[in-house]
Amino acid sequence: MEPAGAETGGRWRPPRGRHRLPPEVVARSQRERLLEAAVRVVAAKGYGAMTIGDLTKRAGVSRTTFYELYEDKQACFLAAYDAAVALLVRRVIAAYESEQSWPERAAAGLAALLETLAAEPALARLSLVDIGNAGPAAQRRYRAAIQRLTPLFEEGRDFAPGGRGLPANTSRMAIGGVTGLIADELVAGRAERLPGLLSDLLFATLVPYIGPDAAAREVERLTR
Amino acid sequence: MAGSETRRQSILEAMVQVVGRKGYKGTSVADVIEEANVSRTTFYKHFEDKHECFLAAYDLVVERVLSEVIASCDGEQAWLERVRIGLAKVVEMFALDPELARTAIVEVAAAGADARRRHWNAITRFTEFLDDGEQLSGSPDLPENIGLMAAGAVSGLIFDELLTGRAERLPELLPDLLFALLVPYIGPGAATEEMRRAAAG
Repeated sequence: MEPAGAETGGRWRPPRGRHRLPPEVVARSQRERLLEAAVRVVAAKGYGAMTIGDLTKRAGVSRTTFYELYEDKQACFLAAYDAAVALLVRRVIAAYESEQSWPERAAAGLAALLETLAAEPALARLSLVDIGNAGPAAQRRYRAAIQRLTPLFEEGRDFAPGGRGLPANTSRMAIGGVTGLIADELVAGRAERLPGLLSDLLFATLVPYIGPDAAAREVERLTR
Repeated sequence: MAGSETRRQSILEAMVQVVGRKGYKGTSVADVIEEANVSRTTFYKHFEDKHECFLAAYDLVVERVLSEVIASCDGEQAWLERVRIGLAKVVEMFALDPELARTAIVEVAAAGADARRRHWNAITRFTEFLDDGEQLSGSPDLPENIGLMAAGAVSGLIFDELLTGRAERLPELLPDLLFALLVPYIGPGAATEEMRRAAAG
């Protein structure tokens, strides 16, 4: 009998030994298990202390399989990072697009971001905190990932009366304010309190475009 | 022969420079003692390990930048003027010493949870300079974290510039940084005006 649970997170894995699953299906499942293992191991001990042994043990794959899929520890980490970011961005954009006016869209997108991060603290740490510990390539990746959210902020330019005269960097500033506060909570180990940040983060998003008075009014209207 | 305190000081200076050049991960105690021109024994007399030394070096950078900012504002200027002068001082220090800037803004994020907490504590101390701005805005409902958000926006932009190795170009970014600091308090119209004034010199 194959013990299920703790070691593999209860995830389905192909039966050992001879079986008829096509090789690409086996590889995909092994890849997914390794990515999930990377998220859990980084959350438990940090990127620096993570070894390939940790990953193969947790994912239940051989070292040979690991090296067939990834060149090294960093490659596996970056793949896990990309998968985590893709999930976050997808959720945020879906929530954002479900609303009409820009302040409502921003509120929905931020709420989705905070809820996803609060529900998955391991994923949150990986995407916003540990990425800073994994070398310059990972840091550049982080900045690039964040830039994918830029268009959501940039719509504020069309919404705001004087939006076109605002500095080119306005969306990067708003994003910096938002991610900074989130990272602060994560570093302090308070992921579960993230949804409580919604009103502050919404204010930070709106204020460069519509100013403090209008931003405070919209926050009151959309979060109370 | 240099005194014990002087040697400690030169180890900290060396740590700031080496980490700025090679990154926190790439820095070894051997690099630091070579740069500081002290023995390994001396290093371990003052610090338990690289991490402890880095944290002390980071504190030194924060104190230095804070004291320069305080010295540049005489307390007589209006809030807006003080923010402008203080920010210009930080940017000037970073542009003149790119290693110090990288250590203070980029590498501190790579040096573990303790270091990141210190980084946020430091940012919180800088936001005290912004507190009076709340009276400028007529709005009674400004979020409590407003200073932290403004400072986060500024440090994020500086982080981007440093990551791509453009410390010397930071002064060109000063008008945008000023906009980011002011806008939560005075709104986009007035902040844009201040930005144009800063750009005109």
